[in-house]
Amino acid sequence: MADFLRLIQNENMKIYRRVRTWVMLAIVFFIPLALALGGLALDSSPNMWTYVQIDISAMGWLITTFAVVIAADIVAGEFSGGTIKLLLIRPWSRSKILLAKYIALLLFLLLFLTAFYLFSLLVNGVLFGFGGGTEVLPADGDERSPLAYITAYYGFRLIEMIVTVTMAFMISSVFRSSALAIGLSIAMMFGGNIMSAILALVDKPWVDYILFMNYGLASYLNGGTPIAGRPLAFSLAVLAGYWAIFVALSWYVFHRRDVAD
Amino acid sequence: MKFRAGAGRPLTEEDSVLDLQRGGAEPVVRLRNVTKRIGGRTIIDNLTFDVPPGEVFGFLGPNGSGKTTTIRMMVGLMRMTSGEILIQGRSIRTEYEEAVSRIGAIVENPEMYKYLTGYQNLLHFARMVPGIPKKRIDEVVELVGLTSRIHDKVKTYSLGMRQRLGVAQAILHRPALLILDEPTNGLDPAGIRELRDYLRHLAKNEGTTVFVSSHLLSEMELMCDRVAIIQSGKLIDVRPIRGGAGVGVEKAEVLFEVDRPDAAVAALDGAVVRMDSGGVVVSAGREEAADINARLVAAGVRVYGIRTVTKSLEDQFLEVTGGGRIG
Repeated sequence: MADFLRLIQNENMKIYRRVRTWVMLAIVFFIPLALALGGLALDSSPNMWTYVQIDISAMGWLITTFAVVIAADIVAGEFSGGTIKLLLIRPWSRSKILLAKYIALLLFLLLFLTAFYLFSLLVNGVLFGFGGGTEVLPADGDERSPLAYITAYYGFRLIEMIVTVTMAFMISSVFRSSALAIGLSIAMMFGGNIMSAILALVDKPWVDYILFMNYGLASYLNGGTPIAGRPLAFSLAVLAGYWAIFVALSWYVFHRRDVAD
Repeated sequence: MKFRAGAGRPLTEEDSVLDLQRGGAEPVVRLRNVTKRIGGRTIIDNLTFDVPPGEVFGFLGPNGSGKTTTIRMMVGLMRMTSGEILIQGRSIRTEYEEAVSRIGAIVENPEMYKYLTGYQNLLHFARMVPGIPKKRIDEVVELVGLTSRIHDKVKTYSLGMRQRLGVAQAILHRPALLILDEPTNGLDPAGIRELRDYLRHLAKNEGTTVFVSSHLLSEMELMCDRVAIIQSGKLIDVRPIRGGAGVGVEKAEVLFEVDRPDAAVAALDGAVVRMDSGGVVVSAGREEAADINARLVAAGVRVYGIRTVTKSLEDQFLEVTGGGRIG
């Protein structure tokens, strides 16, 4: 086990010893600050929780994008750099090497999302004063605390991010192309929104099983679900199904593949 | 440094039979009917050979003959279609982790993580094998002569330095078998010479078995104890290069560079095989060559140089591969 932790340590070293990771982290810190300063200048009665909410709902996609970049590179980069040949000829099975990569990727996502959340709380709290925040709750008289509400929102977003990032990881592993992984994942992230609006008009049951139709889990917090007429559990199950397929494909192909170029 | 002892398992009956044939030493590498087919094309066709321990073993063939594919199968990067490869008796197919832990390798170019320092690269690979202390990393860095630059990023390294770093990561865990694919590619003559000396040192002083592929015939001649020649995925020949029986006894064609070939022919009284540009070619063993030289000098012929013109490996290679067609 200790030995396996060293594999994760290796993957972390390959993520955090690069300048780009620190540029991304700087951007993650910059965004809540910029949005809050904007609010300070333009908003007549700014409130901490409103801006914490704006940060994640308006800029959450950026965290996903950063994690997608890491996911795209973490396997494909070893192939394009040729280092895969040195990485695999160690006394470790390919499955474990890939698992170390996947864990390092999820840690990255978790770290960035947590850093974003904490910094968003800090900046907005300092600038607008800690407290208040019933405005962010969906209805008057809602008993939930703003912190619990926003944290649940982050939780739902995290689930979606994990699925998107796992898809990028799968493309990275199967096609060994970081460009394709980044391109497809981001296209799905943005195109998915538009497509789901269009596809929602199609009155066929299979539409509900399309991956991006089930994004938007957080609407549950406001009493809705991603797909009208389907319970939250349905969307969670569909996402879990896609996740399992992405993971299975990643491992199967990575394990079987001849490293031949 | 201490060479890690051999397989350390009870010998089977098959071993003892082979041991008798091999003079007691278990082969470090055994290929048995190794075949690789990709999409109906046979890339590697039924390769069978052994690499004895402590040798520098050359794997020679024209480009596209299947050298790299064979090496990739030996280290488990590619699967065999059929056949078996054993590293110190461990199957690379069924006991991968056991087998590969005995191997250090550079497959094609030593491509390291360019955005990390040389030291971080070594740390990375050291972490993947249990029981490599930091001290060992320093020791290896010293050994390959990278001490002054090891904390610089690899992207600032010259090709020669990357090659050294490649060797360093390959020997970190003191493997019994070192596999190098075209190791002299891109090295300058001084670098090639250094690598050659180092490989011979590893084989001689540490008992490491070195498996080197190359299409550079002259290199192989200088480096190896034995070469396997492969073409179009087929094994053509395995032959010893140096230290073989009869060196110096066996007659070879010797060229004497002289000022007056005619006079030399007269002085040697029919021993001359043919006249060559600027000299005469005589068939002679080591001692005879010295005698012939004395006779020429006595006859007043000036001798500028004496060298053997036995078929070089290159000639033999071209002969057996029929002119080195692309496989």
